[in-house]
Amino acid sequence: MNREPGLLDRLGGPVVVFGVVGLVVGAALVPYAWGASTEPDGTVAVVEMHGTINGDTATAAIEDLREARQNDSVQAVVLDINSGGGLASVSEQLYLAVKRTSEQMPVKVAVTGMAASGAYYMSAPADEIYVTPASTVGSVGVRAVVPPGGAPDNQITTGPDKATGATEAEARQRVEALRSAFVDSVVAEREDELNLSASELSYAKVYSGTRGVELGLADQIGGLDAAVDAAADDAGLDDYRTVRKESPTPSALSSIGLNSSGPTGGDGLTVETTQYLMLHGQLDTPGDGNVTEVSADGAN
Amino acid sequence: MARTNLLKGIGVFAIVVIVVVGATAATGTLLSGASPSGDTEAPAYDSGLLPTAVDDSGTVEPPQSDETKTVVIDQSHGNAVGESDMEPLVDALIESGHDVRFYSGGTDSGFGGGTGGLSSGGSGLNATLRSADAFVVANPASAYTSGEINGIESFADAGGRVLLLADPVPPSASTQSIPVNIPIGTGSGTATTPGQPTNLAANFGISFGAGYLFDMENNANNYQRIYADPSGDDALTAGADRLVFDDATALTTDADATPIVQSDAQSSATRRDGTYPVAVRTDSVVAIGNTEFLAPDSATVADNDAFVSNIASFLVTGDKQPGVPEPADAATGPGTGTGGFGDQPDTTPTLPGNGTSP
Repeated sequence: MNREPGLLDRLGGPVVVFGVVGLVVGAALVPYAWGASTEPDGTVAVVEMHGTINGDTATAAIEDLREARQNDSVQAVVLDINSGGGLASVSEQLYLAVKRTSEQMPVKVAVTGMAASGAYYMSAPADEIYVTPASTVGSVGVRAVVPPGGAPDNQITTGPDKATGATEAEARQRVEALRSAFVDSVVAEREDELNLSASELSYAKVYSGTRGVELGLADQIGGLDAAVDAAADDAGLDDYRTVRKESPTPSALSSIGLNSSGPTGGDGLTVETTQYLMLHGQLDTPGDGNVTEVSADGAN
Repeated sequence: MARTNLLKGIGVFAIVVIVVVGATAATGTLLSGASPSGDTEAPAYDSGLLPTAVDDSGTVEPPQSDETKTVVIDQSHGNAVGESDMEPLVDALIESGHDVRFYSGGTDSGFGGGTGGLSSGGSGLNATLRSADAFVVANPASAYTSGEINGIESFADAGGRVLLLADPVPPSASTQSIPVNIPIGTGSGTATTPGQPTNLAANFGISFGAGYLFDMENNANNYQRIYADPSGDDALTAGADRLVFDDATALTTDADATPIVQSDAQSSATRRDGTYPVAVRTDSVVAIGNTEFLAPDSATVADNDAFVSNIASFLVTGDKQPGVPEPADAATGPGTGTGGFGDQPDTTPTLPGNGTSP
């Protein structure tokens, strides 16, 4: 029964062969094993909101927040806010996006300069707001810039309000509605901490970081790193990495007209519409004296 | 035989496909996390969001009066309120048959160089007032001269009705948003900043405030649109239980004047709560710290229509002696003729007979 030695035997017997195969397979898996033991537990996404809140910056931030919610490795979000607000409509969108994110994971806000008006609106639903003594929070108010009434002589419109959109009294009511939604949202989101009444908040003052903490508009004195640490801590991450999502750089158009798609259309038409703003600071309206400003805050 | 094999093969193929697809779908359903569901609750967006519009159904009634009276509305001091801004009042007066004149400065009240011999700078206005029964001043940009003030004072003393209106002084010219009708008058030039008839009002013991009044809680859909109530039971506020003023200022008076309309509000200048008079009255002088309520879209809001009607009838129910104020030379006595700069108040402060001005 002297059998011809088979291939297996010629390679050194089954033990050796399986050993080698095992080594090869094992070596192939080493990176995964190494990764599993040294890989951070998760990611803290730092989402920027720098500059005026307009269609571009808001869309980017809302998209970043959605990605953070959908990406399993992102366990916490820190909003890096330095903005004086902007358009009312997108400020509300941002508020809802932040609120939705904070229902799923820890969300902290680090005010790295100013979180005023619309930018404070989006900060309100966060778990904690970090400020420094010199940063600015507040300006809970709304304003509308209403173009002068009526259609100019060289235009034919089909109705008296086609050009302006609403009478001044109607615009005033709309501003009032936005103000009450804004103020009531801030009160609802921060009701435990807030030491200001709704009508005190409606004065639309801005406060320093220190005063903001005292009044309950902010929670902690601390910088961006403190906010990131706290967010990771809340998410149970000992070992984490951060990913920064930057605000788009403003285009020349958007710095003039708040939105890159307007007010100048592709045809060279300049359209002036009623703008509802949650924006802090004095506004230089074009054609001063022709534009009526209706504001719902005490700062005029 | 071959046919059976073929059917068998197809059957196996179909079963395998179904099993594979089914298993994949089942595994996918089991493993995929459900998308986070549901609405994000925004507690403040739910209800009560839309503010109630202020009632805007009033009508300004023309005053009842048998006689035809003459109401002069000053436009000669760069007054930043034109006819269109007080149309309901003007309409009511005209509808009831009274004369309304817009005084935009006559040829005899121009700059000194043009018409030499004009002594007190008030004779043009005073001549107009001689035949008038009521005089309306709103937001003058330039000050009244001593001669004019004396004329208006004797006009009021003789039973002429005087209505002084002024808004708060805007923080700066660049932020004022009042559309301005620049009257073609003398001396006013391109003045567009509305002012207050400070020295004229002071003569009647009335002072206009600088800041606006506001109310953060109880307001007509904007903190600067305040509610005001009658104070006392003056005829001017008959039927006007609740008035709405946009951008009003508080008035301060001496003991001779009584508040007729007041508001519980805060002043922007002091940030103090208080009950601030918005309209005051002496016998024949009424001062109101707002002009906007006379505009077409505000005169019909709340009870403003009743107030505007009452003001119209106040203007035409006086009983003024004819011929007052007397010609300037007689009124100011000797020492006139110190210059002709009629519209510059500082040129005539030392005239005899002007001692009542502060």
